[in-house]
Amino acid sequence: MTAAATGLHDFTVVTNESVADGLMRVVLSAPDVAFQMEAGQFLNVAVPGDASQILRIPLSFSHADAKAGTIEIVYAVVGDGTRRLSLMSPGDASTVVAPCGNPWPLVEGSRRACVVAGGVGITTVVACARMLAEAGVSFDAVVGAQTAGRLWGVDVLEGLGAGSVSVTTDDGTAGRRGFTTDALADLLAQGSYDVVYACGPEVMMAGVARLCRDAGVACRVSMERMMCCGFGACGTCNVAMADGTYKSCCKDGPVFGAEEVAW
Amino acid sequence: MGEISAGDKNVGDKNVSAKSVGMAVDLGGVRMQNPVNTASGTFAFGSVFEGFFDVSRLGAITLKGCSAEPWPGNPAPRMCEVPSGMMNTVGLANPGVAGMVEQYGEYLAGLEGRGCRVIVQAAGHSVEEYVAAVELIEELCPWASGVEMNISCPNIARGGALVGGTPESAAEVVRAVRPRVSRPLLVKMAPVRVPEIARACEAEGADALSLINTINGMSIDVRTRRSRLSKPTGGVSGPAIHAIAVRMVWEAAQAVKIPINGMGGVATWRDAAEMILAGATSVTVGTASFYDPTCAADIVDGLAAWAAEQDASDINELIGAFEC
Repeated sequence: MTAAATGLHDFTVVTNESVADGLMRVVLSAPDVAFQMEAGQFLNVAVPGDASQILRIPLSFSHADAKAGTIEIVYAVVGDGTRRLSLMSPGDASTVVAPCGNPWPLVEGSRRACVVAGGVGITTVVACARMLAEAGVSFDAVVGAQTAGRLWGVDVLEGLGAGSVSVTTDDGTAGRRGFTTDALADLLAQGSYDVVYACGPEVMMAGVARLCRDAGVACRVSMERMMCCGFGACGTCNVAMADGTYKSCCKDGPVFGAEEVAW
Repeated sequence: MGEISAGDKNVGDKNVSAKSVGMAVDLGGVRMQNPVNTASGTFAFGSVFEGFFDVSRLGAITLKGCSAEPWPGNPAPRMCEVPSGMMNTVGLANPGVAGMVEQYGEYLAGLEGRGCRVIVQAAGHSVEEYVAAVELIEELCPWASGVEMNISCPNIARGGALVGGTPESAAEVVRAVRPRVSRPLLVKMAPVRVPEIARACEAEGADALSLINTINGMSIDVRTRRSRLSKPTGGVSGPAIHAIAVRMVWEAAQAVKIPINGMGGVATWRDAAEMILAGATSVTVGTASFYDPTCAADIVDGLAAWAAEQDASDINELIGAFEC
């Protein structure tokens, strides 16, 4: 499925700015690899600034612009690594290991899709929506966040031609109070989707998977794991499968069929 | 990572002619074109690194440990980061010897043909399981230059104590396996009682010793009061353990006559050079390959430049050349 071999590439920061509470958007100039990135894949980013933190940070991207040679990453500032990333300035340089993992698949024969994002899962969901738009698949979107201040991507999804964008927040400060699964349940009841694509907290994706199974709709999820390398060397990013085996999040995923995963 | 490797190029910059230095080493019968090897469990089966560099430039690669039957390994999370290192509890997940050969045998035979030695690692939970693994390796891996036996596995019959945790238990498993391995046999030691266990393995016919394995550690999430791994303990690796590893390699090299395959936090040519001075014949790159995937290849170049700078005509002159 993935044509490009994972390699080591230089990047320079173009912009790095806050887009919502706790969410930053960094644009990397990485012409050697931007054109290779397919929606759903990820990058393992070396973030300078603390020699005692040796590992890279695996991050999804929202947009890879082959022409401009840039990659846009919207990331949550949650730990030491992403905090250091938030301090990188335009012109700062480092390296990425990329492309990592497999892309979101276009499900054969699908004409209508729904994309569901929870929290920072919005990043790869925006990439997915762009892929669908380019492939001529019509789609609706559900975007969930803890609170209004943490929302990002609604206008981006609208700009990509989403039929509707349903917003949910845990505290009701924007859109419907509740979870993405509440909104998705209503959409599934009305809509005739061929496939649902989801990324967010694992408990959310488990709920999405259950709703889709009950509705008889195909579902693809993008999983997250602690990992070291991002290209299949370390064996640390295992995801438990429904058949009792493990698969590697970086090599076999991060996108899995929802029915494959042991929730 | 970036900052570290940039500084490492210093020696190469001095314009010394590295080509004139003999780099080939003999690791107990594994004849390597240079001393650089990769640690089991950090390099998969080699092929995933071809996108980063020509793997055949390395002296050897050591494959992820394989057991006679496939092992699923431990649940997630299997890793966490600690200062200057990481911890893992992968649990020796592997496809089994036959599964490995089916998926990677052709690539590995080709890699041998390209000049890089392939060392197959055997894993087991009991003497019987080690014997079964090496018998399969003998049968299915005719291309392999050597067999490394990882005796840092928990022994199920002994309540999970390390197979190689005492000189007696290490000797027992080496004794059982040695007659069944026609190729050079390396023993990957646990980082405990190094001189005694090294001597026990040598006495039972090991051709070389690989050390150190990860050092058992713990990391606790103080909010949840749980381990940051799916098990209470895990193996610490990376630069955090390098100084300990150099000391243990030095102790082993003084205790035995067979060659040492030194590893533990090697991330730069300087780290590798330290290992050689402490007495290692070959130097193995582990965790560094996760974050600096070209690290092993860079160390090949860096070691050659360092040897030239040290006025050595052959890297072998520097093995154990530590002056105390």
